[in-house]
Amino acid sequence: MRKWLSLFLIGLLAISVVASGCISSNGEKSKTKGAIAIVYDVGGRGDLSFNDMAYLGASKAAKDFNLELVEMQSNSEDDYVKNLETLASQKKYLVIIAVGFMMTDAVKQVAKEYPDQKFAIIDGYIPDMPNVMSILFKENEGSALAGALAGLIAANDGKDKVGIVLGMEIPVLYKFEAGYRFGVKWAEDYYKQKEGKDVNIDVLYQYTGTFNDAAKGKAAARAQLAQGAWVIYQVAGGTGLGVFDAVEEVLKSQGKKMGPPFAIGVDSAQDWIKPGVIIASMMKRVDVGVYTAVKDAVEGTFKGGIVELGLKEGGVGLSTVDDVMAMFDSLPEETQKQKLRDLGFNSKEELRQFLEQTRKQVPDWIWDAVKELEGKIKTGVIKVPAPMDKDGIEKVRKAKTWQEMMELAK
Amino acid sequence: MRRSGSSPLINFKPFVESLIAILVGFIIGAIVLIAFGYNPLEAYYWLFIGALGSTRGIASTLKYATPIMLTALTFAIGTRTGIFNIGAEGSFYFGAIASVIFTNLWGNMWFGLLMGMLLGALWALPAAILKVYRGVHEVISTIMLNWIAWFFVLWLIVGPYANPNDPNKTIRIPEAARLPVIGYGLSIAIIIAVIAAILTYFLLWHTTMGFGMRASGINQKAARYGGMNPKMAIMWSFIIGGLLSGLGGAMKVMGEGPTYAISQGGANIYGFGFDGIGVSLVGRNHPLGIILSALFFGMMRAGTALMQVNAHVPLEIIKVIQGIIVITVAIPGLYDLLVRAFRGGVAQ
Repeated sequence: MRKWLSLFLIGLLAISVVASGCISSNGEKSKTKGAIAIVYDVGGRGDLSFNDMAYLGASKAAKDFNLELVEMQSNSEDDYVKNLETLASQKKYLVIIAVGFMMTDAVKQVAKEYPDQKFAIIDGYIPDMPNVMSILFKENEGSALAGALAGLIAANDGKDKVGIVLGMEIPVLYKFEAGYRFGVKWAEDYYKQKEGKDVNIDVLYQYTGTFNDAAKGKAAARAQLAQGAWVIYQVAGGTGLGVFDAVEEVLKSQGKKMGPPFAIGVDSAQDWIKPGVIIASMMKRVDVGVYTAVKDAVEGTFKGGIVELGLKEGGVGLSTVDDVMAMFDSLPEETQKQKLRDLGFNSKEELRQFLEQTRKQVPDWIWDAVKELEGKIKTGVIKVPAPMDKDGIEKVRKAKTWQEMMELAK
Repeated sequence: MRRSGSSPLINFKPFVESLIAILVGFIIGAIVLIAFGYNPLEAYYWLFIGALGSTRGIASTLKYATPIMLTALTFAIGTRTGIFNIGAEGSFYFGAIASVIFTNLWGNMWFGLLMGMLLGALWALPAAILKVYRGVHEVISTIMLNWIAWFFVLWLIVGPYANPNDPNKTIRIPEAARLPVIGYGLSIAIIIAVIAAILTYFLLWHTTMGFGMRASGINQKAARYGGMNPKMAIMWSFIIGGLLSGLGGAMKVMGEGPTYAISQGGANIYGFGFDGIGVSLVGRNHPLGIILSALFFGMMRAGTALMQVNAHVPLEIIKVIQGIIVITVAIPGLYDLLVRAFRGGVAQ
């Protein structure tokens, strides 16, 4: 017993030392005008796409409107309700933002319990609650551009397969898949009219079932590359980082610094992660969505219901080099320096030049064609299907032409 | 001594040891917090307020404690019988999917629980038979059975039992078959789990069968010499263990809103069997100790929300701290286990 007693005393001593050392701290939350809270889903920060974009929007809004930003990560799905409830019960947040479709049920439940608290959910469909703003994106429109780009690159190089690696099989991701397929079909048609040659491009697709397992993304992409996929579009958050690795491996084994084969990034302008490998990214401006929710809450124009952001509203789009550099500039200074060093560039300008050179690997007429499609979608001449369930996506998978798919969009 | 056993309720030494270990864990955690520039007093304060400071907090502590209490009992019964049964994970999956399947066949709560227990126990049977009749070491067989269960259940989740309207989950438990909610999202699952722990205690220490199980756990040869049947003891240990984990899996799905379904990728049923090992070690493989240690683990989980929001400690650091505390707390139990193993207590 004496041994334990002495241990116990040592413990007490240590506690008192610790206590005396750190009673004062934390004096930052002084001059803000209020607070907002953001809850991430299990994917969490550091995915360089979805959740990080949400943070980008929230931190920008916090700065612009002088608000305190409280962030919360979720350890597992079991924590969603608990986290939202904890924040709501503090009754001090202008708006609580739930990032991710997976939190839909939890937001519904907590929003009912706290009708005076404003909530916003990204990607979740909650149309009928006055205190919940659902922010949805027309990923189908942006993905159609990605599909057109992929399809035309493959057709131009005489290849007949492109790939798409997805995360969990949730309705949001059906919109990505459908848009991509639409774009590929549109590319077939465009190429036929331009060159007078029939092409048939298959879309290889795989749902990996996860958003934070890069190894699974890599395995899926490897399998598709082995089957001859020429461009792979990743729609899998952190899992998708593995897709870039797989494509890079192929390039390295051929001694090339730039594709094809290429990967297409998602959510944020990801091109800077692996320049040369990533030809472009389908940006889903989660930051714009989050910013909108906070702005409306601050200015008193917050309304429950659905807010949909498409190509026209700037909610989705294909990344330009400027977008990529802006994304890169938003990273912390240290990360930027480290990344440039890893890539072997001496300055940001070199990175920009390398990105521009990468895009030159694809002929100008392809970029123009993608622009043309973008214009037609914006003006509403072309409509891209947005299936919300299994039946819907099956119909898109079976469709033979983009016109047939457009019928489904009506 | 450590294994005097006859009246474990009066034996406070393990209890005191665990308390000291908890204290030491918290101190080491505090040092880490300081190293990362956070205030440990503030962090711990919010951890406890989050877990116990409100009815809601207490409810979530109890909710988090429920599944790991049951899987810990599985491990504890195994250890008491001299086997290292880590098959709780597999039985938990089967209990969970059974509850989804059978409550949708016939919307009755008791039927769902019963089938969960039954399938959990059935899944423990192959390892038991292999152990008793072929001498296959249970660590090997249960690890492999866990993986088989995992992929089989994953297939059921995305395949036949996927929800067509909401394809990232299975179909839901029908409303009539959900466990009644006491309040703040806490269902009666916790009461059932505590009853299960008490029953397990009575079984092990107050029945002839339990005596046989513990005797063969201490020394198989002596038990056989004393007229007991160690083979049957091991069989029952696996079966009851599987039953308890199956119950845990079923209650995880039937007792937890708002979804009342299994998520794609099994995200909300994964890992409880493994966590149960830690819970059991901290509870010194004693059913009543496990009630306390499961509550302790539940507190740690429930407190993270306020620790993040009010003490501004990021979740990653919280996980590190909790990992340190759990390891420290498990050391006395682990020491026990190793001593047993080296003295030849574990059956070969």
